[in-house]
Amino acid sequence: MPIKRILSLAVVLTLTASLFTGCAPKAETTEATDAPAANEPVKITFLNTKGEIQSQLEETVKVFTEANPNITVEVLPASAGQSPFEKVSSMYASGNAPTLSMLDGGDVLKFTDKFADLSSEKWVSDAAKGSLDDMTIDGKVKAFPMTVEGYGLIYNKAVVEKALGTTFDPKSIQTRAQLEDFFKKIKASGTEALVISPMDWSLGAHLLTIGYADQSADTAAINSFIDSMKSGSGKLSSNVAMNGLLDTFDMMKKYNVNGKDPLSSTYEKDAELIGSGNVATWFMGNWAWPNISQFSGTDAEFGFLPIPVSDNASDYGNNSIPVGASKFVSIDTTQNTPEQQAAAKLLLDWFVYDAKGQDMLVNTCNILPAFTNNTLPAKDPMSANLKAYMNEGNIIKFMVTLPSDHWSNAGASMQKYLAGKADRATLLKEIEAYWQSVQ
Amino acid sequence: MVENKNAIKRLLTYLGFMGPSLFAFLTVIIIPFLFGIYLTFTNWDGISTQMDLVGFSNYVLVAKDHKFWASIGLTLKYVFFSVVFVNAISFTLAYALSNGIKGQNFFRAGFFLPNLIGGIVLGFIWKFIFSSAFVYLGTTGNIPFLSSSWLADPNKAFWSLVIVTVWQYTGYMMVIYIAGFMNVPKDLLEAASLDGANEWVKLKNVVMPLMVPSIIICTFLTLQRGFMAYDLNLALTGGGPYKSTELVSMFVYGKAFLSQQYGVGQAEAVVLFLLVAGVSFVQVYFSKKMEVEA
Repeated sequence: MPIKRILSLAVVLTLTASLFTGCAPKAETTEATDAPAANEPVKITFLNTKGEIQSQLEETVKVFTEANPNITVEVLPASAGQSPFEKVSSMYASGNAPTLSMLDGGDVLKFTDKFADLSSEKWVSDAAKGSLDDMTIDGKVKAFPMTVEGYGLIYNKAVVEKALGTTFDPKSIQTRAQLEDFFKKIKASGTEALVISPMDWSLGAHLLTIGYADQSADTAAINSFIDSMKSGSGKLSSNVAMNGLLDTFDMMKKYNVNGKDPLSSTYEKDAELIGSGNVATWFMGNWAWPNISQFSGTDAEFGFLPIPVSDNASDYGNNSIPVGASKFVSIDTTQNTPEQQAAAKLLLDWFVYDAKGQDMLVNTCNILPAFTNNTLPAKDPMSANLKAYMNEGNIIKFMVTLPSDHWSNAGASMQKYLAGKADRATLLKEIEAYWQSVQ
Repeated sequence: MVENKNAIKRLLTYLGFMGPSLFAFLTVIIIPFLFGIYLTFTNWDGISTQMDLVGFSNYVLVAKDHKFWASIGLTLKYVFFSVVFVNAISFTLAYALSNGIKGQNFFRAGFFLPNLIGGIVLGFIWKFIFSSAFVYLGTTGNIPFLSSSWLADPNKAFWSLVIVTVWQYTGYMMVIYIAGFMNVPKDLLEAASLDGANEWVKLKNVVMPLMVPSIIICTFLTLQRGFMAYDLNLALTGGGPYKSTELVSMFVYGKAFLSQQYGVGQAEAVVLFLLVAGVSFVQVYFSKKMEVEA
């Protein structure tokens, strides 16, 4: 049966050959020249790590393809719960790097040798003040600020005003005592005052880092504080802002609706609590709007309150909330062709300058852009409120360039503290130990 | 000359049959394994294009990493309880379902079913049960130990891992035990009956010794799966609350990819490999000695 023999030989050969195809290394960097995209069809991939806007982003790039018919963009989702860094590094390892990677701030720094230099792009000059600071490495801009986010104590205006029986001025809360007084009044009216979510990312990356950001208005001072933590010379137990933050946190714990079983709640449950008006405030950010509006309707009004760290209204940070560029997009130069890189740059330009692109970002993806030339009003009340804080300058640094495992480790320590399984000394010691283990 | 020619011919025949699978085995298992060991002597962070040899310093870091050893301790505890419960329960089920009771096949299929659900899906289902369904039952029915989420308490979260593992693997091990029971020769059992042995004596003196091969296989499989547990851990507890249920696979993964200390993570994986290989070897070696001929 020669035919059978030849067939089986062919099968074996193909299988063997297929083993090799994955192994060809392509390490050389091919930096794109700024030549206009040729008319040949180009396919680029865009790794999206904001899972909540996956379908909206797909819709957006479809509109982009209508305007640029030779470029198709495939939006790849990162699974929920997987860190963007894990996803991107595994894609690099498999020789399958996305053209555009959406990453958290700190992760970009790990890939700088693979990402394109974007310093000469037009949008650099239109980026909001400070949004490129963390992404400029050796004078080169390595990432595109995709979105501005911020967080604080979200309040449900209708619920608060009903509980207080009067109009509510969020500016009236700038000290710990004022915040406690506010919680007391709401509680007295029969509504639950506050919900604290137990997720490690919320506690570790957002709540705890207010203590870092409140160190100083000067980024350099915050950086040297972080450096002192790494070297072990910085002590948290004597740090004023950190202790002030934990004093406020202790006070908040008393009013937490999940107080009896603080670790059992979930993001979705807590969004429902505030959205349906059962609780007046929630410690979370503007990304929660889709989850909240499911229960509140899109006409309800929400805004942010600061987390004051002392009883002196004029102390730094007490009237401010953390706001900053939080997701960054970078272009790969090692596994994508110059044509693909040029197409990717075109897409970024389209986001910033094309009227359609601006509109899709703001109104479809519900993103607050980091570019000053985009003056479209924010679509939801929480982003609008963030914009107001930005315009007034009442913002503190959103710590986005911390080491990639900070949220997970610090978050675990904060969970212990929230559950009452660790006292303050233990918490601070664990966080100090974490920083000293950072390499 | 003729001898030589024959030897070459034989070698070619060997290669013809073994070559492809040997090649696949080398490229997919052996080379990555050796390369992995090499990486433990470097300071690679997982992505950078350059790495330096650092000697044994990663292993020194592993020895000093008390969180890693705590995680190993937790994993040993988890493996112990899941091996004991999975085997005890599946053996009992198999014994009960191989005596020809009514609806036997239906029950066998039913107990096997959980094994067909993947670990991640299983984790999410049970997460819902532990954190919502049980809590609802507990609060409405006033049952104190159910009224707060099991997954929020380190101790209960550990036991929920064990419970789900037992639920998942019992059916699979039961099938192996049933096969074992069916291979026990009927004539031996009949002879024992004629000698006046009751059910218990028959089980202890005739069935058990003949079941040793099945017990070895099942213990080995549960041991190995217990040490390697990752998907269930990830989906059910996510290592929480506050990293108290992080089994060693998850810990190693986090070290390598989340903390970006690839060399240290890989060194921890090698330590884990040695541990699992050692335990499995000891288990198989000693239980082989208990095997008998029918």
